Amino acid sequence: MVKLSLKEIRFIENYLIKNEVKYWDVRLELLDHIINSVEEKMTNKGLSFNAALQEVHQGFGNNLKTYVIYNHKLMKSGLYADKKGFEKFTKQKQKELGRKYRNQAIKTFKNNMLNYKFIVEYLAFSGLVLTVFQYFPKITVFSGLLILMLPTFYGFYHTFEEKALKKSLSFNMVGTFSILYWSIYNLGLQSLTFFYEKTEPKPYEFFVIMLVIMYQFLRSSMNLYLKILKENKALYKLKLS
Amino acid sequence: MSNSKLYKGSLTTIILKLLNESDKMYGYEITQKVKELTKGELKITEGALYPALHKLEADGLLDVEVKKVDNRLRKYYKITENGEKESSHQLSELASYIATMQALVNPKLSLE
Repeated sequence: MVKLSLKEIRFIENYLIKNEVKYWDVRLELLDHIINSVEEKMTNKGLSFNAALQEVHQGFGNNLKTYVIYNHKLMKSGLYADKKGFEKFTKQKQKELGRKYRNQAIKTFKNNMLNYKFIVEYLAFSGLVLTVFQYFPKITVFSGLLILMLPTFYGFYHTFEEKALKKSLSFNMVGTFSILYWSIYNLGLQSLTFFYEKTEPKPYEFFVIMLVIMYQFLRSSMNLYLKILKENKALYKLKLS
Repeated sequence: MSNSKLYKGSLTTIILKLLNESDKMYGYEITQKVKELTKGELKITEGALYPALHKLEADGLLDVEVKKVDNRLRKYYKITENGEKESSHQLSELASYIATMQALVNPKLSLE
């Protein structure tokens, strides 16, 4: 069985990085498959490294194109594979990860609703928010935005701290989830400032109810975030081992 | 997947069946196993296999385990409990489809 050299493996990995497969957690599956497939084609079909790699490119849906370049009045031509298939692979993976996390968040949400500890926590939070709101409505509503942004702040902190999270598709996707909740709330607040500019008192009640409802989503998103963080760190550690 | 459009609809059934029969498999291993079982008649392309695997994973029918092999990471897929149920459901659907097609294409054979 032909085994690829480290130089050839690095060539494939660099090729993937240059061709938009920038997330390491997406690249790991592609890299393993390409290496296995190239080695098998070189062994069983007797192909050269380049010819075997071209066949694998086609399998992923990349198109092989002819290039022509002029260099000091000399014309050189050759074949190159575009990144169409790899782009499709990443986009599709992104879509399915989004679906997977959405399903997991719904499951966590349902579990929380049946967990008495969470119910106590939720009632305590709601009670506190509604009490403070009676005295400081504006401060409560705007502090609510900061509370909903907590997973995002946490995410920023971890991105700087943890190498595992840099250029990780799964972490990017879970981060997008946490942005979604406070973005909706923030959009509402912006609309309030815009449409009720001269109205006093402003209808802050709507936002405090929204905050209480969104707290449940915030907690399920936070649980999911911590789960993915743990998984990603373990995977990155394994990669470096 | 090459060969025929007819096979396309059965890709998830094939993957679930193979994973139901083994402890765990990685993507490339699945393509090779299908090639081996069908004596090269059916070739699953990478462009068809991975979207199907990722979809099954998102649906909770497959679970993932990553191991270090030959100094690189390898992603193994394992069937979940829900995946096992879905596999038997899809296989019975496929069997009924084959029987119906048999009745249409070759009525004599289907009566035997």
